[in-house]
Order: sequence, then structure tokens, then C-alpha cells
Amino acid sequence: MEKLTSSKALNDLRESLQQPSDKPLIIIGSGTCGGAQGSKDVVNTFQDIIEKRGMTDKVDLRVTGCLGFCEIEPIVVVRLKGYPGILYQKVVPGDVEEIIAETIEKGNPVERLLYTYPATNSKVTFENEIPYYKKQMRNLLANNFEVNPQSIFDYVGIGGYSALQKTLFSMQPDEIIDSIKRSGLRGRGGGGYPTGKKWEAAKKSVAEKKYIICNAHEGDPGVYMDRSVVESNPHSVIEGMLIGAFATGAEHGYIYIEAEYSLAIEHFSHALDQARELGLLGKSILGSGLNFDIQIYLGGGAYVCGESSAIIQSIEGEVGEPRAKHIHATERGVWGYPTVLNNVETWANVPLIINKGGDWYASIGTERSKGTKVFSLIGNINNTGLIEVQMGITIKEIVYDIGGGIPNDKAFKAIQIGGPSGGCIPESLKDLSIDYDELTRVGSMMGSGSMIVMDEGTCMVDVARYFTEFNLDGSCGKCTSCREGNYRILEILEGICAGKGEQNSILLLEELCEYVRGTSLCGLGKTAPDPVLTTMKYFKDEYLAHIQNKECPAKVCKALIFYEVDPEECVGCGLCAKKCPVGAITGEKKGPHSINRDLCTKCGTCFETCKVKAIQVKTGGA
Amino acid sequence: MVTINIDGTNYEVDEGKTVLEAAKKKNIEIPTLCYHKALPPYGACRLCVVEVLRNGRSNLATSCTLPVEEGLRVLTNSEKVNKSRRMTIELLLARCPEEEALLELAKKFGVGEPRFKKKDDNCIFCGLCVRMCERMGRQAINFMGRGIDRELGTPYMEPSKVCMTCGACAFVCPTTRFTLRKAERISGNKPMPIPAEFNEGMESRHAIYIPFPQAVPKIPVIDKERCVYYQTGNCKTCENFCEAGAITYDQKDGALELDIGAIVVATGFDLFDPAKKPEYGYGKIKSVVTGLEFERLVSASGPTGGHIEINGKEPKKVVFIQCVGSRDKKGNEYCSRVCCMYTAKHAHLVKEKLPDAELTIYYTDARAFGKGFEEFYNRVRDEGAIYRRRELDDPIEVVEKDDKVVVKAKGEPDIDADLVVLATAIVPRADTPEMARVLNISQSGDGFFLEAHPKLRPLDTFTEGIFLAGCCQSPKDIPDTVAQASGAASRACDILSKDELEAEGIISHVNEKMCGGCGICEETCPYGAISIAERLVTASEREALFDTIVRVAEVSSALCKGCGSCAAACPSGAIDQHYFENGQIVAMLRSALTERNGQKLCHRTKS
Ligand SMILES: Cc1cc2nc3c(=O)[nH]c(=O)nc-3n(C[C@H](O)[C@H](O)[C@H](O)COP(=O)(O)O)c2cc1C
Ligand code: SF4
Ligand code: FES
Repeated sequence: MEKLTSSKALNDLRESLQQPSDKPLIIIGSGTCGGAQGSKDVVNTFQDIIEKRGMTDKVDLRVTGCLGFCEIEPIVVVRLKGYPGILYQKVVPGDVEEIIAETIEKGNPVERLLYTYPATNSKVTFENEIPYYKKQMRNLLANNFEVNPQSIFDYVGIGGYSALQKTLFSMQPDEIIDSIKRSGLRGRGGGGYPTGKKWEAAKKSVAEKKYIICNAHEGDPGVYMDRSVVESNPHSVIEGMLIGAFATGAEHGYIYIEAEYSLAIEHFSHALDQARELGLLGKSILGSGLNFDIQIYLGGGAYVCGESSAIIQSIEGEVGEPRAKHIHATERGVWGYPTVLNNVETWANVPLIINKGGDWYASIGTERSKGTKVFSLIGNINNTGLIEVQMGITIKEIVYDIGGGIPNDKAFKAIQIGGPSGGCIPESLKDLSIDYDELTRVGSMMGSGSMIVMDEGTCMVDVARYFTEFNLDGSCGKCTSCREGNYRILEILEGICAGKGEQNSILLLEELCEYVRGTSLCGLGKTAPDPVLTTMKYFKDEYLAHIQNKECPAKVCKALIFYEVDPEECVGCGLCAKKCPVGAITGEKKGPHSINRDLCTKCGTCFETCKVKAIQVKTGGA
Repeated sequence: MVTINIDGTNYEVDEGKTVLEAAKKKNIEIPTLCYHKALPPYGACRLCVVEVLRNGRSNLATSCTLPVEEGLRVLTNSEKVNKSRRMTIELLLARCPEEEALLELAKKFGVGEPRFKKKDDNCIFCGLCVRMCERMGRQAINFMGRGIDRELGTPYMEPSKVCMTCGACAFVCPTTRFTLRKAERISGNKPMPIPAEFNEGMESRHAIYIPFPQAVPKIPVIDKERCVYYQTGNCKTCENFCEAGAITYDQKDGALELDIGAIVVATGFDLFDPAKKPEYGYGKIKSVVTGLEFERLVSASGPTGGHIEINGKEPKKVVFIQCVGSRDKKGNEYCSRVCCMYTAKHAHLVKEKLPDAELTIYYTDARAFGKGFEEFYNRVRDEGAIYRRRELDDPIEVVEKDDKVVVKAKGEPDIDADLVVLATAIVPRADTPEMARVLNISQSGDGFFLEAHPKLRPLDTFTEGIFLAGCCQSPKDIPDTVAQASGAASRACDILSKDELEAEGIISHVNEKMCGGCGICEETCPYGAISIAERLVTASEREALFDTIVRVAEVSSALCKGCGSCAAACPSGAIDQHYFENGQIVAMLRSALTERNGQKLCHRTKS
């Protein structure tokens, strides 16, 4: 690769990459999630067969990152000239031969591999017709289909780095900041701080050095938006950071990335190498005089390490613990120099805003929340995956239209938004729109983009207990309030789940929650009690049932449930008695069986085993 | 300067300070646990929270990390603040229910029994030890683990190689997490407390310290041997505490050269080392102490605050043994003069503090010769102290038996004592010979400095202008020392007050014509009064062709004492003494040996 030393050189390169092609294109999603489902083997099989059939020149194969619909990975999309992509789900190596023979060679879809829409039970052929994708606004994620994350040329080919060119050669730093401010972009890492305002402060700080940091720590449980962006489209992050560097006057960049994200790290460092080789990082980028480079810093451990001051401490070689920050990082951050710290998704939005304009961006979303937001949609939901939606969309639309509703005909009970320290929003608020301020109003928060859907079989006390446990483990343990406070909250919740809740438990919980929120140093402690507070607010009856009646309405808390055989239903097959690990089930052959509750360990094996559903889970008094 | 409002009152405070610092300066009390003046603020304990009022909102913030800024409004004692503080205390107390510091806070803030299950920890994670160790330049310990599993320790919990066992962690620890003994586990080495010299090592002191409460000047000194800064270049913690900014680390020991007219030698004494008399068990048995150690034990400013205790217990039977190392035909033959009376005083103090204690005093002769002494001695006897006489040669043996010490004396029943106090002799300081050499003064046979005349010149030495005071001359008690010292001082003033000194008339003089400049006299003179000078002799003076330089002896008339040593030593007979010229002496001798009226004044002895 030759270094590009001018804007024109980059334009020339882009033009050469944009030759239209008539060849069929096979796209295989092979991010971490696809990889875990065996996409690597699918890729290899495609390569082998294409070679064997001597079709190397006749088809294009693109291995991309995450395609977002995790439920149906590995995904293969075939684009034939003149048609939208045909999407195949859950592809295994054995399907490859048929895809090539039928679709590539004959132009016919392979019916059995098509996605079935559960609501209508009908097959959907084209990717853009799948409701899961259709309801989204995939400004960022759509590009995951278009680029091989290992190839800077793919990115340049789809117009990548043109926003950088635009800023370097036709905009002043103040104009860039103004554009970002007008876009209304707010930090996607959780706090929702206006990005333009942050940049402006950093630009105003006078110092011999300034730093840019990309926060790719992503410590929330079960979320992977940031990983997916870094892994699937690393150059969009690099471009965003370059623009940020130019706007604020920084020359040094860090990406603080969770050390366990091996594929993301691999792709990102490869992308950095390529960008350096092309002269898009380093000295006088594209001959503009801008110097900037990025260093990867592997972060580890606790959830709290993603907090901004903890990251700064960590990069400085100290323990990753938050510190009091009455002086903004934009004034004194890493090593005491002005620092702009933004989340992966925030950075990735920047090139879009520059290319299409701040006003365009601001036209999407609500009054005070603009643009789109990526969420990890997980839990009791049909379509789990990575979704990108416009701000202002309602919870109902996400759960039912995109998520495809709750599996197994169960009822939607609540959705936890904002990660482990977000809040549980009940079904009754399903018309609430996704908006920073609306979410905060109901006791939750935007957070970094985690959405956990819960069905009626979820015990809200248990949920509060689970998140408190997670938060306590993710806390650094520095503050008395966060360490001891959350520990005692957990102790009380465990007590309630174990049927040992006392009359004053709720009051004490409330007192503790208020204390932990008010007294702790960092965002973790200040929000850790939110799951407890919101579940207490919206599901108080469930708490009272646990405490007063020693009942778990959702039949989850082991100490409060018991198993019983319905003598009407039991056919006396004896299967459960055979499977019971402690021999608690007895009964005559062909006669109704019964469970000895003193022996029963409530493992649930009988419940799973019974073919006629004669085993019942009960709670409360016998 | 910025103006901030604390609890409704405006204060002008220094910029760059924290709210806690500003409040402290204005004597507004804010409780803290993880704050330390010499360490960077940490914000962990959350006890120092204050309510910050801003834009119509109120938030809690830790005052130790909150910088002051113009217009800042805080409340230090609101309901919100106290609610938070009470919960902080309750939670910490539930974790560490035995910790004094927390119990005290709980009392102060009205926190009752914690409503949570009690644990039995002792660490509140204030991080003072971690930060202090870092300040020592070591970083031997740090926090590990997360959340409730946070722990304190060395890397991999192995003995630290960088720990220098300075004990700074134990020093700052507000709880019992790190005591000196526990700090031992960090490196595996035993921290050695610095023995406080003034308290006879019965207590420890810091590396920066005021030697004793009545020290003059009452100014702290830094023990360079022990101060971490002088060993490693780190620490300097004391600097943060000195409001006056008076601590400087670049002062050096130096020799002062002074022009002086008189010297009063008041160098004091050493105590006889009782370990030299193993029969008393000193050094081996903990409950055998010297009189001076006992003195610290009963002193209100001593290690026990004046409470008599030995091995942590009040003694019930106390034995005093006098004349340890004094009046000893094989050692110090003299009487130390003060032991009889101070032992009586000690006995009196024991009776006063522990009225039920049994007291026995072994003495040789009770010498109560001073004003009021005999009366005091009688009073102590009346108070119940039992005086048992022993002959000087009668041995006394002290042996350990279980947790008692048995005192065996000839002809007396054994005593099971809890405490034995030895009245040790006053002995000349170990450096007396060296001092004598430097000052050119003499020692007497017992090793103390020698006065010019025991009766007529008890303050003087043989060297003009040097006087003696106190026990450097011989054992004596305080009144005698004060009397002698006042006398010595006025003798010194006598010299200093005069513009000119009247010298002795009988001094040596040199006949330069005869002097060969050999220097024998210079070496001989005990007073350093002779030096060799160079003198230009002109051609005409010496009746020769050229001028020349000759070496001749020169006598300082102020220093010469007229002892005549030089005159006797001079090989060329060039030195004479005024009024005792060689010729005069020869004439006197002749006269003395001449027979008159059939009598001779002197007889020549046969040699
Ligand atoms: C406990 C805690 C954990 C956090 N974890 C992350 C994280 O994993 N990723 C992230 O981008 N921001 C995280 N944040 C938010 C960051 O502190 C910071 O606000 C953000 O990275 C700034 O970027 P933004 O303005 O683009 O959102 C966390 C905050 C807290 C309090
Ligand atoms: S609030 Fe919790 S996570 Fe945050 S600094 Fe305090 S102890 Fe650490
Ligand atoms: S003293 Fe301020 S938090 Fe501990």
C-alpha cells in the first residue's frame, strides 16, 4: 500500500474501488456471535466449493462482522444483480453446496433456509422484508453488511474517510463542533452528555497536549453493541476519532478495550495498521498537517473500569478506580492533559453527522434525544440481537415489532433498560418512548444500550437481587456506601427471596437505596440501587407477597416454591420417580405419585421430565 | 481568595483548597476517616459528605475532594448530611463492631446497634496505609478484589520485598487493622519501635521528636538515622503538619567556632550499669529496674502516665536496693550521695500511689545529711517503708521465680517481690578522659574532673578560665549542683566582666639571644603558653653581613602559670622565670646550704 499524501489521492483510490460489479455477492456474517455458531466453517466451505467449481472469478465472497440478528446466525446473504439480498438463516456447511447450485447458479432461493416470520408463519425471502430489520433504522449497522472489517478498501469504497476529508479540507474545527452540537448527539456510553459541548470544552482548554479516548470497555452483562461496531466496522470508529482529534486539537488517541474482546482487538489493531500504511494515521494525514495516532489499551476486570475517571486512572497505570472529578477531563484528563472520552458508538456516529450534516441528524428522534441508538435486545424475546432504532420509538414497537414478542405465549412483564444499574420498566409503561429524559423520568436510564426483556415467569425481587449482585461485584469497593451499602441491600434481598423477609425490610431497603445513590462517588454507586428502586416501585405487590405471604408469585424463588403431583393428571408412568436425584417421588405403578416435600431439593427435574404435565409448581401455603 | 458559604455564613478562603480544608481552618467540624493532611484526598469513607446547593438542587459530595469555588454553598450539618453519615457509620460498624474509632463516632452521631448482621472485620478500607506506603516510596500494599471482596495486602499475598518495615501503615491506621505487630506480616520483618531515650527506652518515640517535655529549647529534632526521608528521600510527612513551615531538611551537623573567655564544664554523669553486677538480675529479669527507670515510671509525663505498673500489673511488693555500684572497695569507692534520698522519695511515691504495697529498702547507711533530709527519711519510715540494713560486703541476690522475683539477703528472710529498684551509682561519663584532654584539665582518682583545690577552689580547674559544675566533678544532688553551678557562673562572669586580665607576675621569659628554637619547651608546657615564632634579625643587630630569620620560643604572658617546667627543660638555659631567675635560685640554694652559727639550713643528701 502506498501512503496517500493528499485528498485527491484518496479520491482516486475510492473511485478505483467503486467499479460496479455484475457478479453475485455472498455475504457471510462472521463476528463473534456468528463465529460461535460455526460461521467460520461455513466460510471455509464456501471458499472450497467456489474454488472446486472454478467459480473464483464468477462470485464475490465477503466475510463481514456481525449482521445483528443473533437469533438466526450464521447468516448468509446472497445478492444477485437487480435484487435485494436473499437472507439464509442458521446456515451450516452442508447447506453451502445447495446455495451455490440453486441460488448462485440458477437464481432460485433455497426455500428451507429462508427466515420464517413467526407471527404469520410465512417465509421471507429478502433481507429488507424481514420485520426485524424493517422496523429498525440502521444508519450505523447497515454498513456491517457492506464491509469486510479486515479491509480498509471496503470501507473507503463505500465512502469511508470522506467525512475526514471534508473536515480536514473544507471545515474549521469550530464548524465541526458546531455541526456536532447542532446534531444534538449525546454520549452513547450511558451518561448522555452532549458530545459537541464536550468537544468544545476540550478545544477551549489550552495545553501542550490533548488526548482522545474511545471507551470500548462495555462491561454490562450480555451487551455487545460496542464490540460489534469495533469488530465489524473499525474504521468508522477511527474516522470518528480522527475528526474529533482535528476538532479539539488532540494528537494522541487511546482505545480502552475490554481485554476479552479478542476478535474486536484483532480487527481494530489490523485496521490501525492499515490506516497507518495508507497514511490515514500518523504525521500530516493526507498532507493536511494533522498528526494523530491511536494506541490500544487493554482494560480488564470490573464493570466500574468503564467509568471515565477509572479509565483515565487505568491508562496512567493506576488501579482502575474512579476518583472524584470536580474538574472535567476535558480540562485535566490523562496525565493531567485535556482529554475527550467518548463511547464507541458516539465516535462511529461522527462521520455520519459530518457527511449528512448536523441538521439531518437532528431531524431524527425526539426533542432532546437525537439520531439512532443501538441496543442489545436480549432476554425472553423471540428475536434477540443487535438493533438500531431511532430515538422516540416506543418500547412496544421494540418488543413486539422488532423483537417479535415474547416466546412460548407468555406475557410481557417488564424490560430492564440501561444495564445492571438501569431500571425495570413495567409492561404498563410500554408506550414510553426511548428518550434519555423519558427513561430517567420513570427511574431507568438510557445507559449504554442494554435491553433485557422479562416475561411473566420472572420474579422481580430475584431480578433486583441478580442486578445488585452484579453491581456489587462490578463495584471497585472504594466507597463505603457502594461496597457496604450494596452488600447489605443484597443481603436483605437474598433474605426476602429465601422467605426471611421482615416487616421492616422494605423500609430498610428504601433507606439503603437512597443512601447508596446519594453518597457514592461514581455513576455505578449512584445508579446501582435503581433496579431495586424501580422493582419496588412498580412491583411492590411482589415484594409484599414474598415478605408477608412467603410466596413468590412468579414461582422462581426456590425457598418459596414446592412441587406437587396433580393426581388427576398423573398417569403413574414412574418416569419422574426414576429421574428424581434424591428419591423424593414415590407411587404405585399406574397410580398417582406423590412428592415428599422434606426430601425434595426443588431441582425441577420432575417438572421437566413429566410428559403429561402432571407436576405443578406452587408457592405459598400448601 | 474566593467566597464560599458554609452553613449560611460567607467565608473568604484560599483558592485551590478543598471544602474540608477551608472548613477546618474556620473551625467547622466535619468528621473524616480517610482524610490525612499529608496524603492526597481519596474520597472513600464518604463520612465527610456535605450538602452542596447548586441551581436549586441539592447533592451530597465529599468535602475532602470538593474544591472551593466562588459562590459555592454547602451545608455541613443538615438532616441529609447527618442521615448519610449515620448510615456510613452504621455500615462500617456492622463490618467492624469492635473498633474504638467507630464506636466513638457512633456515640457522637447517635448511631445505635447496627441493624445488619455483624461481621468481625477490622478494616474500613480508608486506604490511608496504602497511600502512606506510597508516600514512603514503597507501594508494598494495595487493595485487591472488587466490591465486598475488596481486600488489603501485598501482591499475591506474599511477603513484600519492598516493605522496609517502617511502620508508617500502623501509624496512620485508624483501626486495629494495622498495628505494629500486624505490620510485621507485610515483610515478615519485625518493626522496631524507636526507644525513647528520655523514658529509658520504656516507650517509643517518633523519628521527629521533642527530646523531653522540659527540653530547652523546646524544639523538635529529626533523628536522621531513623527518619525515612534521610534513608530514602521520601516521606516528608511532618512538613505537611508544620503550620509555621519551619521544617527544613537541609540542616547539617556542624562545628561552631566561638571566641570565648571562659568555660563552665557541666557535662554531667553516667549511671553505673547494673548488669555489671549480675547478682541483681538486671537486664535478665524484667521487673528489676534502675532508679532512673522507676523515676520515669512514676512520672506523669512518663510511658505509663505516672501509673506504677510492671509487666502490665500494679506491683504489690517492692524492694529497693541501695549502693548498687557505689561504696564498693573493688569498684567505685565513693558514695554517690543522692541514692539514699531519692530512694526515700521513691518509697514515698509508691506509698502515695499504691498505699497497700509492701516496701522494703536495703541500705548500708542512711545518709540524710541535707536540710530537711533527716525529717523526710523519718517520715518515709513512718509511712511503713521497712529499712533493712546490710553490710557492704553482704551479698544480695535477685532471682526469678515464676512471675515473681525473689530477693535473698544475708540474714534476712527472702522477699517475693513484684518489682526491684536498684539505686545505681553515679559514675563519670565515659567520655571524661577525652574531654579532659581537649580542655586540658585533670581527672581525680575516681575519674571525675579534678578541682584546683578541694576546699579553697572547688569550682576551678588548673586551667585559667575553666570551671566545674555538677556531677562531672563529683556526685552531688540538685541543691549542691545548683550552688556549684551558680558559683562557677559567677567565677566565669568575673573574667568576662573585665576589660583586662591581671596575670600572674611569676612567669617565664625567653632570652632570645640564647634560644635555639628547638621547641622542647613548647612540648613541655602543660598550659600551651609557649609557641615557636620566627623573627627577623637585621644585619646590624647580629653584626653580620645579611639579615636572617631565626626561630625563637615565645611565652604568652596571659597563659603562663609560672610552673617553671620550661625553664627546667630548656637545654640552652634560655628560659628564666621572673623573680625566680636562675641566678636568684642559685643564690638562694647557696645561702641555704651555707653553715651559719654552726647550723645549716639544708643538708645535701647523699645520692
Ligand atoms: C459504572 C460505569 C460503567 C461505565 N461503563 C461504560 C462502558 O462500558 N462503556 C462506555 O462507553 N461508557 C461507560 N460508562 C460511561 C463513561 O463513564 C463515560 O461517561 C462515557 O464513556 C463517555 O462517553 P460518551 O459521552 O460518548 O457516552 C460507564 C459509567 C459508569 C458510571
Ligand atoms: S461508587 Fe462504587 S464503583 Fe464507584 S467509586 Fe465508589 S465504590 Fe467504586
Ligand atoms: S474523609 Fe472524605 S471521603 Fe473519607
